[in-house]
Amino acid sequence: MKRRLVGRLADAALILYFLFALFPIAWMVLLSLKPADQLFSTYFSFTPTLDSYRTVLGDSEGIPFVRFFVNSLVVSVGAVALSLVVGLPAAYASARWRFRGSENLMFTLLSFRFAPELTVIIPLFVLYQKLGLFDTYVGMVWVLQLVTLPLVVWIMRSYFTDLTPELEQAALLDGYSRKQAFFRVALPLVKPGIAAVSLLAFIFAWNNFVFPLILTSSSAQTVTVGALSFLGGDRPKYNLTAAAALVSVVPPLLLALTIQRYLVRGLSFGAVKS
Amino acid sequence: MSVALRDVHKAYGRTTALDGIELRVEEGEFFCLLGPSGAGKTTTLKTVAGLERPDSGTVEIDGRDVRDVEPYDRGVAMCFESYALYPHRSVYDNLVSPLRSPRHRLPAAEARERVGAIAELLGISGLLDRSVGQLSNGQRQRVALGRVLVRPARAFLLDEPLSHLDAKLRQQMRAELKAIGAVRRTTTLYVTHDSVEALALGDRIGVIRDGRIVQTGTREEIWYRPYDTEVARAFGRPRINLLPGTVTEAGEFRSVDGAVELPLPVRASAGSEVLVGVRPRDVSLAGDGHRLSGSVYVTEVLGRSVEVTVRIGAQHLSLVVPRSEAAGLRPDEPVRPAVRAENLLVFEADRPGRPGRRIGKST
Repeated sequence: MKRRLVGRLADAALILYFLFALFPIAWMVLLSLKPADQLFSTYFSFTPTLDSYRTVLGDSEGIPFVRFFVNSLVVSVGAVALSLVVGLPAAYASARWRFRGSENLMFTLLSFRFAPELTVIIPLFVLYQKLGLFDTYVGMVWVLQLVTLPLVVWIMRSYFTDLTPELEQAALLDGYSRKQAFFRVALPLVKPGIAAVSLLAFIFAWNNFVFPLILTSSSAQTVTVGALSFLGGDRPKYNLTAAAALVSVVPPLLLALTIQRYLVRGLSFGAVKS
Repeated sequence: MSVALRDVHKAYGRTTALDGIELRVEEGEFFCLLGPSGAGKTTTLKTVAGLERPDSGTVEIDGRDVRDVEPYDRGVAMCFESYALYPHRSVYDNLVSPLRSPRHRLPAAEARERVGAIAELLGISGLLDRSVGQLSNGQRQRVALGRVLVRPARAFLLDEPLSHLDAKLRQQMRAELKAIGAVRRTTTLYVTHDSVEALALGDRIGVIRDGRIVQTGTREEIWYRPYDTEVARAFGRPRINLLPGTVTEAGEFRSVDGAVELPLPVRASAGSEVLVGVRPRDVSLAGDGHRLSGSVYVTEVLGRSVEVTVRIGAQHLSLVVPRSEAAGLRPDEPVRPAVRAENLLVFEADRPGRPGRRIGKST
């Protein structure tokens, strides 16, 4: 009886918390459904319309939002892919071997995450201008992997460390080469880790604001900056910004839902004696 | 195939794993490497397999230095203590892996036949489609052993293959292991921390401690001529009795409190501090030999025999006698255990970090 009461109270507390946490999102949804002339009504009564979405995804008043969206997809996926290609072997190597300067190297990677992006953005801007990387996909992928690579290396390193090296040693004795042991034995066992880190890295890249703000102007601009363009001009169009922001939440959300089942760890169960 | 390690050293950072290992395993021999955890047993095996590179010293297989030979090319098969089964694959895939690996491309049909035969031998035919995660420890251990046996190897390296099994299963597998023909014929280096296992399985036994081989010999040699008190203590349950005392002018042994006096089978310098060792099964209550007088301290039934602990002055002497001899023994009852001089082992006194060496002719 008492247990049930406690359960009810906990449920109530959780519901309150969710109302609190989800309120900004609900507000955004309402805002995006408001017609332009009722934008500033403080009541929750208005004539709901999908005009904002139509505008954002269609003619969009001279702002190519769909293009920003595609840009975001390209540079985020690019940054994650590059980080995985470079980061997985790096994480594996640092988990398996102590070589000269290996710890310093790992720390250096981590240190990329210490400094606020603003401290490097001005020199990067100048460099990008000179190198012709300004407002290009290559430039954006390059700079975003500064955010995603340390994440991939550090998280995957701990996954590889948890894996007993005897599995790969067994593979070596079976007749696999080092490389084959890595690809066929070690990698399949850290799939949950790869899924988790890919998602995280994608979200970090997708949500990044400062780099695209300074290092792009139009052709490689991403949704985070693009959504704000609706606020410029003679009259800020909050409803359009809200619609754009909500549209840009979709890819990370979809990704999270797709790989959810991989996020559960435990595939390595049974590798070694329990 | 014979395996030899000569003065092999290996350190991980500041920890010394191998400190000059000298080892020779003859063709077809079943060699047990016995030692406590952290003694360097696994490192020794992995060095032979080519999975660890020695800092110095040489590893020879069939008399050839294999320093630059890849693990696969050494032609050895290893069973890891962790089993190291591929958890994302089925039992069949685990067993077939050594046969179908990129370096060892046995045709699929032949491989299937071979796996079938091995699974039959180990009684795991019914498990082939299961995933490794669903297996019990005993089943995993069989699969791990199967992966070792499935491909003809020049030597088997087995790292505590039975240590994670319960007592009953361990005993059963110990017998089965010895009965497997391939194991009987093939050079096997077997690592264990269990002296019973070493005595049961090993043609020869190497005792390893702190990265060194302390003693190598047959089970008789290890049993009757242990190198030092540590080795003597490692073999035999109940443990060997070790009584501290000194050598008298007459060349006899007298315990510290004077309650035990024994003739010594070897010559030791008068006045030196020694430990006299005698195994519980070598002390009797009825037989002949040098008589000691003491009183029963405690008795403990070990199945058909009884372990009797006798108090002699400050010493406790444990002995194992048939149940009939111990019938009716009560605590504090006076007894006269008999010890024969030829069953005595004499050791230098233990010093911190250096167990006392046996005095007398070396093995």
